[in-house]
Amino acid sequence: MNDSPAIRLTGLTKRFPQLTAVDDISLTIQPGEVVALLGPNGAGKSTTIDLALGLALPTSGGAELFGEEPRQAIVSGRVGAMLQGGALLPTTTVRESVALIHALHRHPLSVDEAMARAGVTDIAKQKIASLSGGQMQRARFAVAVVSNPDLLILDEPTAAMDVSARHSFWESMREFTGLGKTVVFATHYLDEADTFADRIVIMAAGRIVADGTPSEIKAVVSGRTLSFTLDAGRVTDGAEDATLRALPGVTHFDRRGPRFAVQTEDSDATLRALLAAHPGASDIEIVSRNMDDAFMALTGSDHITTEESALEGAGK
Amino acid sequence: MNIRYFGLEMGRQIRNVRNLAFTFAIPVVMLLIFGGAYGGEFDKTTGLPWIVVTTVQMAGYGAMMAALSQAFTIVNERSVGWNRQLRITPLSGTGYLVTKVAAALAVGLLSMLLTGAVAIIGLHAQLSVQGWVMAGLGLWVGIIPFALIAILIGQFAKPEFAQPLFMVTFLGLSILGGLWVPLQILPSWVGNVAQVVPSYWLNRLGQMGASLSGNALTPALVLAGWTIVLAVLITWRYRRDAARA
Repeated sequence: MNDSPAIRLTGLTKRFPQLTAVDDISLTIQPGEVVALLGPNGAGKSTTIDLALGLALPTSGGAELFGEEPRQAIVSGRVGAMLQGGALLPTTTVRESVALIHALHRHPLSVDEAMARAGVTDIAKQKIASLSGGQMQRARFAVAVVSNPDLLILDEPTAAMDVSARHSFWESMREFTGLGKTVVFATHYLDEADTFADRIVIMAAGRIVADGTPSEIKAVVSGRTLSFTLDAGRVTDGAEDATLRALPGVTHFDRRGPRFAVQTEDSDATLRALLAAHPGASDIEIVSRNMDDAFMALTGSDHITTEESALEGAGK
Repeated sequence: MNIRYFGLEMGRQIRNVRNLAFTFAIPVVMLLIFGGAYGGEFDKTTGLPWIVVTTVQMAGYGAMMAALSQAFTIVNERSVGWNRQLRITPLSGTGYLVTKVAAALAVGLLSMLLTGAVAIIGLHAQLSVQGWVMAGLGLWVGIIPFALIAILIGQFAKPEFAQPLFMVTFLGLSILGGLWVPLQILPSWVGNVAQVVPSYWLNRLGQMGASLSGNALTPALVLAGWTIVLAVLITWRYRRDAARA
């Protein structure tokens, strides 16, 4: 049982009358991994988490935690979670909230220990209603770790935090993962996934569209778009396109009349080569591809074939 | 049921004084107003001093309100998402509901004890110890259906509807059960309806206990009927919620 994966999802699917929230997801996460579940709103991250925890019933497929039914793993205290829409009671204090959950678990940490790990000892006597966004998330973290879980599932844990609160939150998380525990967190911040996770799983429209190390993933979702206009009179179709495609760093090429847009991994080199070949190029724009673009691209539209093959390489 | 969780839950509810003040204060205030008015007269049907009859009535009223108000704690916990947090613990759905029934019975008991203490100490109501104990026991058993009604409201109501739903249930049961106005002065059909309403039997059980007389079979059957029907509804609703999530 010790070598069972922390999470194993097989063919997990959740259909609602109007949409398929989770579409045939299979995913295995080993003990000790720190995995970011990255994706835009509506990608199916929260539903996947609910299904993995057994809080919702899948339409088909199944979920196992440590080789057991999710409910059994929860009962034995091996799983802690900070869920979307799972908040603490506003009229209780931080300590009371942790103590209430503490009372329900069989082999919990002490209330003090859980509060120390989450860094909420100094606000133990404050009412939940009076906490700032960052303090609230820390209090929820204390509640999530009080069972002394081996697996922590965090659904957008830093959503309501400012930059410094986010920083100190991840500091206390680091201590937790330092103990060899498994952490899965949903986020839509690439930088957060990048700096904290060993592995990034990208979801879009209910599917896993990429799965790899942060550097593999960044190669796919980073890069810039270089757009420019060439003098319409000079452009001939085929030959011109071919030279543009061959510019250094270009991964994708798009053209509307005299206006061109190329995706590039090295915009400096691409631009130098472009201007050398076409000194008359005008209206030049270089923009970073943001996460939205990347998600759009990764949802499997006909775009960006190069990226998709890169992803398959990263999909191990 | 997890006793430590129940203890903390009760402590939390009792510390939240604002919510309870209303529940605890109203029966006591009404007792002080009406109880003072009767002097030493006796009720002809039960043979008990009016002050005792009024005490039982008000204690029943307070206990019923205390039990029903558990609906608000459930609605709040659901709307905040505390329930979701609880689902990541060994507490089962049944365990949660049982804890809430126990909380309703405990808060109801507190309200009854308070009303009784005010009657005995403040208004010098005279009754045998056995009479008080049996009256209290009768009322306490009598509020079980109200605890279940509270859970049902808690399961169904959205936060904005909890208050009106509570009021309608509470007023309806109070009037139909004859807790406010003697049934004799209402149309006769109300008197017939009252026989199947748990609030009517709540009061009757209390009076039977206090006078140490009367046949408890009918109230037992009516209350058991309510308990079973409500338990079935609660279970059905709970299963449906779990499946839909």
